[in-house]
Amino acid sequence: MTVAAPHTYRMLVVEDETTALFALRKYFSAAGYRVDSARELEEAEALIVTTQYHIVIADLRLSGSSAVEGLEVLRFVRHHSRGTKVVILTAYGSPDIQSSARMLGAAAFLQKPTPLPEIGAAVLRLLEEA
Amino acid sequence: MNYPNPPSLLHGILADGGLSTLFQPIFHIGGDRPALFAVEALSRGPKGSNAERAEVMFEYVRRKGKEVEVDHACAIAALKASVGVPPGCAISINVHASTLERDELWTPFLSDACDRYGLPLSRLILEIVEQQKYWDERRFFETLDRLRGAGIRIAVDDIGLGYSNYRTLIEIRPEFFKIDPYFVTGSSEKWHARAAIESIVLLAERLGGDVIAEGIESEADLRALRDLGIRLGQGYYLALPSATPPVCMQRFREDSATTLA
Repeated sequence: MTVAAPHTYRMLVVEDETTALFALRKYFSAAGYRVDSARELEEAEALIVTTQYHIVIADLRLSGSSAVEGLEVLRFVRHHSRGTKVVILTAYGSPDIQSSARMLGAAAFLQKPTPLPEIGAAVLRLLEEA
Repeated sequence: MNYPNPPSLLHGILADGGLSTLFQPIFHIGGDRPALFAVEALSRGPKGSNAERAEVMFEYVRRKGKEVEVDHACAIAALKASVGVPPGCAISINVHASTLERDELWTPFLSDACDRYGLPLSRLILEIVEQQKYWDERRFFETLDRLRGAGIRIAVDDIGLGYSNYRTLIEIRPEFFKIDPYFVTGSSEKWHARAAIESIVLLAERLGGDVIAEGIESEADLRALRDLGIRLGQGYYLALPSATPPVCMQRFREDSATTLA
């Protein structure tokens, strides 16, 4: 089931794993979102600087060296686009990292695997309360 | 089913055929009828990727610190595509200031590339994109001297914004001052934009350069810019960027006014 968005929200998905990225893109596009995607931190930063997003969904671990590039994305959004909501997705979320994400301003922190409709519902809630 | 992860965006940009070139004509706008002066070669990344948007591609490249590699690839793609540009028409290509500072071999590289495609260096205009202050001024200006020694003319892009400021212009003394569309588009209705343009025209005159107005989107702006003494311009009103180089020195957008008298 797809949780449809009532408006055309602009979304950035930052995920280096092709299967997960494909699934997120497909789900949110079908729900009416305008979805861009990035696989690398620098690609995500370039999109955030040049595009206004309502929401960014970022995987915690991208193929960089820090293993918490999702938090770098979060920091970058907070600095460049304060009105944009950020959802962090992870399969490795320790309580410490979760706490860091909250302190940095993550709107939600979701453990993988979370079913797509649950991610969709969480995202829509965040957007509607904005 | 799991899909394999594709190569990085940078890999796609630098791969054979990863970059394509669009040409935006720059016209003499001083006479009764605009005549082709040059083409600006605009690079675009792989189709279907985020790098298809130039502003995303170059922001990404700068964040990766790969300006030199990508400037080389863009220059090669542009020169290769420029073979069909009419012989009397100059070819303008973009380069990061940081590339001129970091790459001591930029001039011989361009010289070799122009040789390969049969293009005289005297037809080349190098547009410097200033995204950050150059770090090693000595190396930057040595490269500029080598480029000018080879017959290549220099333009500074985006004048009026960022690091394309008066200090940069005085130090580089470009042959061409390219005024940013922020000031040009709609200038016929904005006295403050025209005041800024006037000051750049005066500075260019004193420094011995020509002004190019970038972002001309209406006949009213074209006339206002001519009244300010600007003789070179580009923009959607005059011609749209195209993958095919203009074949005729007089080509002009058919739905625009064809004469300015």
